[in-house]
Amino acid sequence: MLDEQEIKRLLLATAARDVDAFARLYKRCAPLLLGVAQRITRRRELAEEVLHDSFTRIWRAADTFDPLGAPVGWLTTIVRNRAIDVMETHDVSRVDSYHAALDDKPEASLDQMFDWGSTTEAGDALDESRLLTFLRRCLGELAANERQSLVLAYEHGLSHGDLAVHLAKPLGTVKTWVRRGMLNLRSCVDRCTGAAR
Amino acid sequence: MKLAQHRHLDALTGEYMLGTLRGGARRRFERALREEPTVALRLRNLQRDFTPRYSQRIAATPPPAGWKRLERELKLSQHRAPWYSRVVFLRAWALGVTAAFVFGIALLALRATTDTTLTPIAQLALKGAPPSVTAALSSDGATLELRAERPIVAGPLRSYELWLIPEGGAPISLAVLGQIDATLRIPAAQVGRLRPGAQLAITVEPVGGSPTGGPTGPVILSGAIS
Repeated sequence: MLDEQEIKRLLLATAARDVDAFARLYKRCAPLLLGVAQRITRRRELAEEVLHDSFTRIWRAADTFDPLGAPVGWLTTIVRNRAIDVMETHDVSRVDSYHAALDDKPEASLDQMFDWGSTTEAGDALDESRLLTFLRRCLGELAANERQSLVLAYEHGLSHGDLAVHLAKPLGTVKTWVRRGMLNLRSCVDRCTGAAR
Repeated sequence: MKLAQHRHLDALTGEYMLGTLRGGARRRFERALREEPTVALRLRNLQRDFTPRYSQRIAATPPPAGWKRLERELKLSQHRAPWYSRVVFLRAWALGVTAAFVFGIALLALRATTDTTLTPIAQLALKGAPPSVTAALSSDGATLELRAERPIVAGPLRSYELWLIPEGGAPISLAVLGQIDATLRIPAAQVGRLRPGAQLAITVEPVGGSPTGGPTGPVILSGAIS
C-alpha cells in the first residue's frame, strides 16, 4: 500500500519543480497506476500510453494539487480519466471486449483489487483504515444492481452506455442505479462515521 | 450558473469520481474545479472518504524506458543544475565572497558598529532526503536567512509557513513565505528563542498562511537547531 504522507510530500516537491522527487514519485507509483490503467484499457500498450500521458499531466498540474487533499486519489483520478479518454478515442468496442473479461460477480473482485484492512495504527492512518472498513461494509449493503454498476464503472471505467449494454438494461435504469448507488453509499458512510464519533 | 449552486452537485461530483461523467459534462466539471472552490472542496472530501485503496496485487511493471521517455519529453534535465553550471556558480561564488570580504573589511574600517554575521543553525530536509535548505541566524538573533539549493516557490493558491517548535512547546509562526529562499526578521517576541533543542519546520498552508494560527498543512521541511 502506498504511503499517503510520503506521496503527498513527493507531490508537493514535484510542484516545486524538484526532479528527484518526481523521479521518486514515478518509481513509487508507476507500478500501481499502470495496474489501474490496465484494468480499464485491458491492453498493455494502451495502458503504457495512459501511464506516460498521466505522468506528463502530473508534472504539469502538480501545483494544482490541494495539500489538504488525498494524493493517491488525486493521482488515480488522473489515470482513470486519461484511460477513459484513450478508450474513447481508440476505435475499440468496449463492451464486446469486456464480455469475456468481466467477472459475472464483479463485486467479488472488490477484495482482489482493493485493500480494506489496516496496515498502520497511528493517528490519521487509523481514521483512514476505519473509513475503508466503513466503505467496504457499505458497499456490501447496497442493492446488488447498484453495487454491480458502481464496481463496473469504477473498476473498468465503463460509461452509462457501456453499462446499459453490458447489463442489458435501459440506459435510464442504469443511470438511476449509479446515481442511487452513490447516494446510498454516501449516506451509509456518513451514518457509520457519525455513529463512530 | 455556477456549478456550486447546482442542485445535483453531490451526484455530479460522485459521477466525476466514479468516471461516468463524460465529454462536455466532464470538461465543465473540471473547469468548475479550477474556478469554484466549493466544487474543489466537495471533490476533495469525497476523494478522502470514498477512494478505496488499490491493492498492490494489481501493480504491473512499467516499461523499462518509461522514465527516460518522460525525462526527454518533459525536458526535465533543464530543471537540474548541470555540473558545469555548478563550476560557474562556484567561481561566481568565490569571486562574490572575495568581493564581499574586501567590501566587509572596508565597511568595518568605516563603521565597526552593527554585526550581521550569519551563522548556520539548522539544516532543513524533506523526511529521508539530504538537507536542501540552510537556516542561518544573525549574531543579534533578529535576522534569519533561509538558503535553498534551488528556490522553492509556492503555487498560486498556497503559501509556505515557517514555524519554531520550542522543546516541549507548541509551534510558533515565524513567517509566511512565498518562496523558500529568503531573509526575514524574527518577531521581537521570539528573538533569542531559536536555541539548540528547538526545531524549525516549514508547512504548506493556504495562501496568506495558516487560518488557525497553528500548522494545518503537511510539513515539507524540518530540522533541529544545533
